[in-house]
Amino acid sequence: MSQMSSLQSTVSAPGETADPIVSIKGLEKSYGGNVVLRGIDLDVHAGEVVVVLGPSGSGKSTMLRCINRLEEPTAGQIIFEGTDITAKGTDINAVRRRLGMVFQQFNLFPHLNVCKNVMIAQQKVLKRSAEEARRVAIEELTRVGLADRIDFMPSQLSGGQQQRVAIARALAMNPSVMLFDEATSALDPELVRDVLAVMRDLARQGMTMIVVTHEMGFAREVADRVIFMDGGVIVEEGTPDQVFDHPASERTRDFIGHIA
Amino acid sequence: MDTTYGMTWSRWTAPSGGGIRRRLAALIFGLALIGAFLLCAPAPATALEVAKLSAQPNTDAGSDVVGGVDTRITWEVQADPDESLTGFFLALPTGTAYTTEDARVTILSGADLMDRTFVKATYDEAGETLHVSFPEPAPAGSYIRFELYGVKFPVSGGAMQLSGSYELEDGGNKDVSGMPTLQVRETSLTEQLESYLEAQPLVQAWNANRFLRLFLNPLLIVTSLPIIFSGFLMALAIVIVAFPLAIPFGFLLSLMRISKSRILRLVAGLYVNLIRGTPAFLQIYIAFFGLPLAGLNMDNYPLGVIVMAMNSAAYLCEIFRAGIQAVPVGQGEAARSLGMTGAQTMISIIIPQTFRNVIPTLTSEFILLYKDTSLLAAVGVMEIVMYAKTVVATTGSITPYVVAALFYLVVTLPLAHMVGRLEIRLRRGGPRPGKLAKQAPAVAVGATPDQISSL
Repeated sequence: MSQMSSLQSTVSAPGETADPIVSIKGLEKSYGGNVVLRGIDLDVHAGEVVVVLGPSGSGKSTMLRCINRLEEPTAGQIIFEGTDITAKGTDINAVRRRLGMVFQQFNLFPHLNVCKNVMIAQQKVLKRSAEEARRVAIEELTRVGLADRIDFMPSQLSGGQQQRVAIARALAMNPSVMLFDEATSALDPELVRDVLAVMRDLARQGMTMIVVTHEMGFAREVADRVIFMDGGVIVEEGTPDQVFDHPASERTRDFIGHIA
Repeated sequence: MDTTYGMTWSRWTAPSGGGIRRRLAALIFGLALIGAFLLCAPAPATALEVAKLSAQPNTDAGSDVVGGVDTRITWEVQADPDESLTGFFLALPTGTAYTTEDARVTILSGADLMDRTFVKATYDEAGETLHVSFPEPAPAGSYIRFELYGVKFPVSGGAMQLSGSYELEDGGNKDVSGMPTLQVRETSLTEQLESYLEAQPLVQAWNANRFLRLFLNPLLIVTSLPIIFSGFLMALAIVIVAFPLAIPFGFLLSLMRISKSRILRLVAGLYVNLIRGTPAFLQIYIAFFGLPLAGLNMDNYPLGVIVMAMNSAAYLCEIFRAGIQAVPVGQGEAARSLGMTGAQTMISIIIPQTFRNVIPTLTSEFILLYKDTSLLAAVGVMEIVMYAKTVVATTGSITPYVVAALFYLVVTLPLAHMVGRLEIRLRRGGPRPGKLAKQAPAVAVGATPDQISSL
């Protein structure tokens, strides 16, 4: 919890005119002839929760994966904490440890138990001792409500529990931004709630989050800003109220109508 | 030697035609010599002399006499000119068995002892001492041969000392002196077992069937087992060294095959395709005949190990490659998203999962490699098939090949069983079946090399 309070002290309230923590400029991505992103501009400020909506194939996951360069941008710039991460010579591993990512498929390491899943990157990347890594792991697992599951293998957990372990694993690295890539899409409906609760807590504690999701309720409740993407561009951007209740574009209206 | 002496002596004593005076002179000179000899060394003036005592070699190969196995004793004596034998005693070493069924007493006479007179002797067995009585006294000075069959010396072997005495027409009884000892080799366990089996009616009935005798002759199974065992050890020695060598080599190749470097991919691909595209038999020929011609001489064993390891590495490469690519792409992405380097991801995340997945296939490859060591027989490596081949060549039976098969099965069957169990455990130990589809989508399993190398 101490890390959270220190985080909060650096957090500026949404809408303030401080430097953005993530700044995407003219981001383009194509696979061969298939253009997925056609020029994205997006600033995310510290402490902000940005929810990205859009139909499948709109490029929202690709945009998220470009931010930590799991996908190489074809063109454009991504500035994270003041450094251009698309520039040659950037230590991408150093960038990634500050950018936590949670995947749709959880991607827990099946050969390691819950505790080791959370420990391994701390030890390998942050060079923490086993004791310290374990202490942090237990702390983060307690935070996601799984302190009693540290000796379980991932396969022994439900999907919701696995996803919470994945969140703890990312948090253990002390990231300044968390990226959620459809974190609840692979879960049975009854398991979605627990994961969303953890994400909501995280948002309340001031974590900067970029969340790709289909959970409208979550977006409406937690988001500081909602972005609607379609066809590789940002179609609409605004507060939840603006986007959900008074969408400016036809496409947004269509999409919101279909989901809700 | 003694026989020759006796013969010569009898010829000397039988005057014939011219030159008799010279012979007489020689005789007198000889007698004088003997007299002088007798004066110096007082010895029995006249006695029966042992001309020969031998036992027939009774092993398949070599000239050994072994205990516990039937042999024939031949005992030849030269009676003194004034001795007329009516019978004799022969005492065999304690624990020796024999049968008088085919025993034979023959009196040899005439020029070069070519005339034979069979004596209808009667036999009186008292334990290891056999009393042989002639129906009528043998002519004085006879050269007598006694053959005793079915003699089984003790299995412990050693120097066998026989002793005997003989009975004369006048009722006298004299001990035989100068009995040589017979060297009997200790009987090996297989020889004991073999002679035991040979005597079993069941085995005899079994071997009466041509098919059974040809393919499953119990005697040959016993004989060839210890011989082929040496080949078994050789085959194990090859595969146990070659396989662990092939694993890192194959793994390196698999990393090359999925690397970003085009050249590395090309080199590894070329190697794998060349090895997998040609028979191992041909590779062995090229290595074993080509290298010496190129001036590179190597012992059979290390060369065999190298060839087998190089061959197996190509197959292991593909196993590892498939294993690495079977690890969902998300695993690498998760590790990289946490800031782990490519190498850290490979070592801590991908490889452990790869090995877990490939253990069954790896074991199958071990089985294949073990069986492939048989190909080395073609170039004279003394492994299972090679030993079996030599036994087959000397016995004309196929049984040794069947024994060779056993030496393969004793390794391959338990391993194959293990593979089956491992596969079941892997399936059970992995993600729960209900969740499997969600966690590891099919797209991830079919990842392309580019996807892997771009991690």
